[in-house]
Amino acid sequence: MKKVRLKDLAYARSGDKGDVSNIGLMAFNKENYEIIKREVTPEKVKEHFKGMVKGDVKIYEMPNLDSLEIVLYNALGGGATRTLRLDQTGKSMGQALLWMEVEV
Amino acid sequence: MKKVRIGSGSAYWGDMLDPAVELVKNGDIGYIGFDHLAELTMALLQRAKTKDPATGYIPDIIPWMKAILPTCAEKGITVISNGGGANPEAGGDEVVKLAKELNLTGLKVGVVVGDDIFGKLDEMRAKGIKFKNMDTGEEDINRIRDKIVAANAYIGADSIIEALQEGAKVIVAGRVSDNALYVGPLMYEFGWSFNNPDWDLIGAAITVGHIIECAECCTGGMSNMWKVAPRLWDIGFPIAEVYENGDAIITKTPDSGGLVNQWTIKEHLIYEVHDPSNYLMPDGIADFTALKLEEIGKDQVRVTNMKGKQRPSELKVCIGYRDGFIGEGQVFFPWPDAYEKAKKGAETVRERLKKVNLDAEELRIDYIGVNTLHGEVAPEPTSELNEVGLRVVAKTKTKEEAEKVRREVTHLWTIGSVGSSFGVPLPIRPVVSLWPTLVPREEVPTRAIIKEVR
Repeated sequence: MKKVRLKDLAYARSGDKGDVSNIGLMAFNKENYEIIKREVTPEKVKEHFKGMVKGDVKIYEMPNLDSLEIVLYNALGGGATRTLRLDQTGKSMGQALLWMEVEV
Repeated sequence: MKKVRIGSGSAYWGDMLDPAVELVKNGDIGYIGFDHLAELTMALLQRAKTKDPATGYIPDIIPWMKAILPTCAEKGITVISNGGGANPEAGGDEVVKLAKELNLTGLKVGVVVGDDIFGKLDEMRAKGIKFKNMDTGEEDINRIRDKIVAANAYIGADSIIEALQEGAKVIVAGRVSDNALYVGPLMYEFGWSFNNPDWDLIGAAITVGHIIECAECCTGGMSNMWKVAPRLWDIGFPIAEVYENGDAIITKTPDSGGLVNQWTIKEHLIYEVHDPSNYLMPDGIADFTALKLEEIGKDQVRVTNMKGKQRPSELKVCIGYRDGFIGEGQVFFPWPDAYEKAKKGAETVRERLKKVNLDAEELRIDYIGVNTLHGEVAPEPTSELNEVGLRVVAKTKTKEEAEKVRREVTHLWTIGSVGSSFGVPLPIRPVVSLWPTLVPREEVPTRAIIKEVR
C-alpha cells in the first residue's frame, strides 16, 4: 500500500468561529474524494493534531463538491480574541492537515 | 427572467477601498454590500462609544461613502453596510451630513437598529433568559456579568427589507449578519417574504450571500489558486447575478485581477461552515450539499439547485467581556546554531519567569520558523536553519503580570546567546473574550429608521 500526504490529493482552507476551527478539504477529483472520505476519519484527524485539538472532531461529507468539512472543537486556544496562538484565527490549520499521510 | 446583480465591497474593517470603487463604476450592479464587523469589532466599538457617545460606528464608512456615493447615486446603486457597528444612528447621521455636502438632496438613508441588547441584559435575565454559553456549556452569565462590554444579536434581513421598501438607497446597520446584507436586497427585489416563505429560494439567497460576503476571498484571495491568480494587487470584488428562480452566476469586476473558478467558489462555500447541510443564519438554514457548480466562461461560475430550510427560532448573540491581559516578547537568533540558541533562550526565560513569580493562566513558547503555525504537527527541522525566532507569550489576570513577560523576554537581549536580535517591542494587550449564546428571536425586535437628506 502506497502512502501519500493529503497535500497531493486535495486543497484545504480553514477558518474559525470562536474556539472552533473548521477545515474544508477539497479533493482534486472524484477518485481522490473517495480516498479522503475513506482515510480521513475523526480519530485520525484528532491524532494528527496531537495536543492541538482538545475537543471532538466532526466530519461532514459534501459529495457535490468532492469535499469534506472537518470541524475541530476547542482547537484555537479559546478563540481569536484571547488565544496565545500567533495564528489567532487558525488560517494555517488547513495547511497543517495537509501533512497527514494516507494510504492510496 | 428577472435578475439582480449584487456586489460585495469589503471583507473586513480595514479592507481596500479601490476595488469597491471599481465595482460600483464598472460592475453594472444594483446593490453593494459592505461587511465591516468581526467578532471582536463590536466590543472595540462599544468601548469607543462609552468614551465618546458620538462614536461607535466604523469610522471608515465616511471616506468609503464619500468615494462611492456620487457614482452610486448616478447609477442607482443601493449601498448596504453593517458599518453602523455599536452606534448605527450616529453613523447614519454622519452619512446624511456627508450626502448633503455631496448635494444628494432627497436621498433616503435607512438606519437599522435593534441588535444591541447590552442595555437589556438584566431585564432579559429577570425574564429567565440565562444566556447559556454555546461553546462551553456554562449555564449562566453570573460569573462574567460585571465584566461584559458588549452584547449584540446577529440580526437578519427583516429591517433591511423594511428600509428598502421605504425607499432607502443607503442602509447603515448595526450587527446584522454579514449574510443579511445580501439576503435583504434579494428578498426585496424578488418579493420573497418571511410571511409566505419559499425556503429554497431564501436558502439560495443565503448561499449566494455566503459565497460573496468576504469580497476578495472568493475571487482568488486567501486562495489555493495563489500561484495562478493574476494581478492580485488589482483584485476584483465579486458580483452575484441572481435570477428569480434562485440560480446565480458568480463573477467579478470586468478587467480586474484575481479569478473566479470552481475552486475559488468551493473555497468559500466550505469556509467557516460547520454542518454544511445546516448552515444556520438568522434568515434561514441553507443546505450546501445539493448545489451544483459549473464553470460557464472566464471568471464565471453558475450555481444551481441551492436548498434551504425554515429560519431558526433563536438568534445568536455574541457577548464580549473583559478577561485579563496578554504579554508577549520575541527575540531572534541567527546562524550558526540558531535553533539551539533559541532553545537555550527559552530555558533562560522560563527560569527568569519563575524567579519573578509570574502568575499566568497560560504560557506558550513558539519557535518562529519551526512550529509557530503548525505547533505539534510540525516535524523537527532536518537541516540547519538560517535563523529562528523565540516567541514567549502568556495570559494573565493583571496588566502587571503581563508586563513581567514582556520585560523578561527583553532580558535575552543581554543574557541570551551572542547574536540575539531584539525585534520590536510588543504592547500589552487587554483581552476581550467572547461568550456566544442564543436568545429567542422575539426578544430582539429590530426596526428601520429613515432619514432623508434635505
